[in-house]
Amino acid sequence: MLACKDLKIDFDKKVVLKGVSLHFPANKISAIIGPSGCGKSTLLRAFNRMHDLTRGAHVTGSVTLNGQEIYTPGEDPVLVRRRIGMVFQKPNPFPTLSIFENTISGLRLSGERNSARLKDVAEQSLMDAALWDEVKDRLRSNPTTLSGGQQQRLCIARALAVNPEVLLMDEPCSALDPIATAKIEELMFRLRERLTLVIVTHNMQQAARASDLTAFLWMGELVEAGDTEMIFTSPKKSMTEDYITGRFG
Amino acid sequence: MLRHFDAELRDLKFSLLAMAGQVEEMLHLTQQSLSERSNHKAEKVSQLDKYVDEAELKLDQACIDLLALRAPFASDLRLIASSLKIVPELERIGDHCCNIARRALILNVQPSVLPGDDLERLGADTQSMVHRAMDAFINGDPDMARAVIAEDDRIDALYLHIFSELLRGMLGDPLCIERSSHLIIVIKNWERIADVATNIAEEVLFILEGVNVKHSYLQAPNP
Repeated sequence: MLACKDLKIDFDKKVVLKGVSLHFPANKISAIIGPSGCGKSTLLRAFNRMHDLTRGAHVTGSVTLNGQEIYTPGEDPVLVRRRIGMVFQKPNPFPTLSIFENTISGLRLSGERNSARLKDVAEQSLMDAALWDEVKDRLRSNPTTLSGGQQQRLCIARALAVNPEVLLMDEPCSALDPIATAKIEELMFRLRERLTLVIVTHNMQQAARASDLTAFLWMGELVEAGDTEMIFTSPKKSMTEDYITGRFG
Repeated sequence: MLRHFDAELRDLKFSLLAMAGQVEEMLHLTQQSLSERSNHKAEKVSQLDKYVDEAELKLDQACIDLLALRAPFASDLRLIASSLKIVPELERIGDHCCNIARRALILNVQPSVLPGDDLERLGADTQSMVHRAMDAFINGDPDMARAVIAEDDRIDALYLHIFSELLRGMLGDPLCIERSSHLIIVIKNWERIADVATNIAEEVLFILEGVNVKHSYLQAPNP
């Protein structure tokens, strides 16, 4: 289980998250929703220590994975990111590497040299990402020859290749058409059986149909979190009601 | 922020209220067809049913359109989903009125077999339940909806009381069996209308509070 407690984040003293406490159960898809600038992506990025790479970012509070603090001094952020993978809004395969090399790039970086194992992991990861049948005959091709949806699934395969416990998805379908979106969502349902998934989305319909739990953030604070069914049929807070029905503002 | 969608939801509520108005007119005429022994009013009930059926078709489509085109959530979703269930309940009340009016045409030419005002009270109280269920809907009044639900037991008791009276009469005088049989169908239809009013009040509570109060025995915690 992934959890954060009293998580505060500022960038050069500009406070973006104001003490958020949440937990994301294993084998569930949790959606984070909220208007632009509410801190959704900032929260998501804190979960795999992406802010370590941002000058001026200051993170306080606690983030734990299965009870283990990931911000412990001395904890290697690279190892954290191997356990907590991330997929971004825009598909970002490495353009100079083949589909095969993209898939196993994380594993190579971690020092794996056994070519048979690399081949097995590539095949399994592409199968897990529901992409294998579409690319098995062109593994040496450049990923830019793939459609946007295929590129996004390639990025998911790349994340899965290092066998993470958590997959973070930052608006993974916002650049995709409905068919590609449906494939990603079906993939999320399958991955839920073995992973914890956290998705940031602006798309209310996607949060409603593809998540088990939903958290609503506003101006860096958690307004309400609970079962997705409850949030989208009978939210407890009027602010949540106003946001999801489009009356906000 | 006022949305175009709000105007569409307002139209839906007004259309539903207009349909309920037609149904209440049918209820009123049904009651009068019996109390005034008016065949003219009984026939008018059947004529009005067509308008209620037309309203059902229009409102069904309006709800489906709003669900498909607006993909509503939360209170908007509850309003549309429950409207989709209230509409056939109102149409069903119209059908019950027609059933009673048909019996009124037979009973009006025969001597009364039921002394007292129990039958009139059953009709009036049932009408009141429908009226207050729709008032709760339009005014957003959960207390009124709960009061309607609570009243159903009293209507059931009154129905059983009249049923027993009719049964006793039939046992004592076989000549009134035919008239009493028609009256049993009349009171059963009034009792069903009260059940339908209860269903509407339950939907109103779901719209207002997001709680499902149906079949409460299934929702009670295990002992």
